[in-house]
Amino acid sequence: MRTSPFWHNRLHQGLLGWYLLLWIALAISPVNRHDWLLENLLTFLTVALLIATYRRFPFSDLSYILITIFMSLHAIGAHYTYEQVPLGFWLKDALELNRNHFDRIVHFAFGLLLAYPIRELFVRTAHVRGSWTYIIPVVILLALSGFFEIIEAWVAQIVSPELGDAYLGTQGDIWDAQKDMTAAFSGAVISMGAAAIWSGRRRGRAAAREGQRRRILPPL
Amino acid sequence: MTTSTATERVLFAENVLLKALLGWYVLFWAVMAIAPLDRPFWMLTNVLPFVLVATLVATHRAYPLSDVSYLVITVFLTLHAIGAHYTYTNVPFGFWLEDVLGFHRNHFDRIVHFSFGFLIIYPFRELLIRSARITGFWAYALPVSTVMACAGLWEVLESWIARMFRPELGLNALGAQGDIWDAQRDMAAALYGALLCTLLIVAARQLLDDDDDDAEEEPELEAALGD
Repeated sequence: MRTSPFWHNRLHQGLLGWYLLLWIALAISPVNRHDWLLENLLTFLTVALLIATYRRFPFSDLSYILITIFMSLHAIGAHYTYEQVPLGFWLKDALELNRNHFDRIVHFAFGLLLAYPIRELFVRTAHVRGSWTYIIPVVILLALSGFFEIIEAWVAQIVSPELGDAYLGTQGDIWDAQKDMTAAFSGAVISMGAAAIWSGRRRGRAAAREGQRRRILPPL
Repeated sequence: MTTSTATERVLFAENVLLKALLGWYVLFWAVMAIAPLDRPFWMLTNVLPFVLVATLVATHRAYPLSDVSYLVITVFLTLHAIGAHYTYTNVPFGFWLEDVLGFHRNHFDRIVHFSFGFLIIYPFRELLIRSARITGFWAYALPVSTVMACAGLWEVLESWIARMFRPELGLNALGAQGDIWDAQRDMAAALYGALLCTLLIVAARQLLDDDDDDAEEEPELEAALGD
């Protein structure tokens, strides 16, 4: 196993503790309780899945950290129905934007933060090597992003129209779905590009070290 | 006729089917190119087929696809050629469906989105199995993901083109026909097509009990999940 069981792992305890505290604090009085519940359906599912697979398929520490950051951002968004997140309003004023961009930031974060855990899941179960291990996570992220837009559309059409708009967070933009997907796609591309460069440099350094070691080894 | 998991490929020079497919498409495309309803729209929608056919021709020697893949690509390109000729929103077949089934819009574009998922998933699967060497669960999940990703990318591309060339048209640009959920419905159509084709592939494998199957490596995935 790559990571020790939960009760010996301070980092994992810390991450779960932090998330539970934040989640409870933000669950107390959300701006719109119904929207909050809708936004949290996927949260419950994700956390339940992560706990259920913890023993069988523990992710690396970095993956759990990235997932926790993303879930925290989503908890903040859910509390404020995304449209009314204070940081988004502040950005709107500071950069003179015409809408609250917090939802777009979280779509970008979805691609940026979750590409790495997805890559880990893929590499460890599919035994694929080389550039495909960077391309396929981007494909999966873009597919999930599109799938999420479809689910959003279903939910918005099923629930009452005014809540639909709050959940959807289009804020009147007809190209909202496309911009959301572009944000997630850009995040995933940046993240996988960085991962590819990072692992290339690490391999380069390892090769250099190997070379040095060979030179200083005493002759047999 | 070779399938995606067959171990051999027949090159163009000795492949009657490939010659027929190319002949059919060139002929059909030429007929549809004669008097399209909207020439600029036709030019725009033909950029991608042009790139795709050029890529397929250029890579045929180094990376020949299976006959089934070339067949489904030809069927899809044929449907697209019809749509491009009639700007999608004016395809007679779509009007006919509208009358018969009581729709309130021309659904031909949605049919082609569905066909994209249903047909193009097959060459995607072939590419992923042969080049990325995916097996088991991933050999079914990743082609569906690739279709979804392409459908999403397509909607993004469409929105860019619409905003660049015809911002005044808004939701009436590029076949949205005024529907705010057009992008989502298009992507869903592609997803349903991809899922249906995947189900058919699974069913066919069960029935034929393929031996050169990649599914037998599934225990490996289980083992990897367990370690």
